[in-house]
Amino acid sequence: MELPIRISKDSREPIYHQIVNQFKALIAGGHLSAGAPLPSIRALSKDLEISIITTRRAYQDLELQGFIKTLQGKGTFVAEIAEDLKEEVKVTSVHNIIENAVDTALSYDYNLSQVKEIFLTILKDKEKGE
Amino acid sequence: MNSLLYIEHLEKRIDEFHLGPINLEIEPGTITALVGNNGSGKSTFLKLIMNLAKPEKGNIKVNNIFTHGENEDWKNSVAYLPQTVLGWDAFTGNTLKELIKALYPNWDEELFLKMVNLFEIPLNKKFSKLSQGVQQKLNLALTLPRNAPLLLLDEPTYFMDIPSKKILMDLIVDWMEPGDRSIIIASHQIDDIRKLSDYLFVLHNGKFLGHFEKEELIENYARYWITSSLEDATIPGVVLQEGNVIISNRISETENYLESQNIKWNKRNTLELDDIITLLLTQNKQ
Repeated sequence: MELPIRISKDSREPIYHQIVNQFKALIAGGHLSAGAPLPSIRALSKDLEISIITTRRAYQDLELQGFIKTLQGKGTFVAEIAEDLKEEVKVTSVHNIIENAVDTALSYDYNLSQVKEIFLTILKDKEKGE
Repeated sequence: MNSLLYIEHLEKRIDEFHLGPINLEIEPGTITALVGNNGSGKSTFLKLIMNLAKPEKGNIKVNNIFTHGENEDWKNSVAYLPQTVLGWDAFTGNTLKELIKALYPNWDEELFLKMVNLFEIPLNKKFSKLSQGVQQKLNLALTLPRNAPLLLLDEPTYFMDIPSKKILMDLIVDWMEPGDRSIIIASHQIDDIRKLSDYLFVLHNGKFLGHFEKEELIENYARYWITSSLEDATIPGVVLQEGNVIISNRISETENYLESQNIKWNKRNTLELDDIITLLLTQNKQ
């Protein structure tokens, strides 16, 4: 199974952390529903071109936070998630993406009021349905 | 955890060539890429593990049994695919299979047939009549199904076409699923190293340069585009400088120095694995 997970090796965010966050977003957004089987650690490591050490760490983290569960000899599956936790993940992931965008703008030497202007322009375009 | 392979202080001399000293431990469930320049000693190293060559110094244990001792039970724990096999030319795939199957109690006939089918290997032709690529496929189909916990592959995909390489990768991923097996794969194919390996074991002209976890190795290196003048500054950690682009393998030292000297950069990125391997294998020459 191919999952829409894309890691960026240039990001300062550790790779295992990127995997954890993208899984959480896929689960919270309903793209992966409860009970859905996940790729094995070895298969995901091959697809993402990373070591099983990194993948295992991501799966352990997700399991600890209650997003996935491992059944001995059967594999790894998406766990049942409470609605309020799903909501929380959605809010956090949107927040993170916007924060990253702002950081990118600042790294190009834009100031905050310029960033605000860009943001408002995007919102206006969306309102117009573009 | 018990290691499948344990090597200490291993050294081997062949005329002017000196391999080692090598220390290495392989845990179950891992794939290690054996990487090195041509003539770095990769094949010799695998032969030493198989007790096909005698070391000057050091010890090798496979599944906790010394490979140089009287007890040869370790041979059931390891399957070795050499670059070239001797003495197979006159036999057909069918005959070779019967010969090998008899030696390995865990032989997986289902996997063998699956590989023959996927790779479209003719079993009734003599080995010598097969192309080099097909010979490699047959060799693999006669090695993986032995189901020995330790698999040593010496350049297994060198002659294989692109679709076959992909098939082999999936076969290897499946083969690793039980989680208690390990592979050491000597390879110059960057795709094998990127997609399959957890660790890189690097040799240069017989010298052991390190045993790295893949992401740790990648995270050690960064490339910077410097915007201010560098003049003749010697920057700590920098392993390569080309104009205003520098590569460091001690990132925090380099960044601290750049900040302290007020040297600015406008872009930083990670290196590709093949660039890192190239740096490792060329820097050491100096």
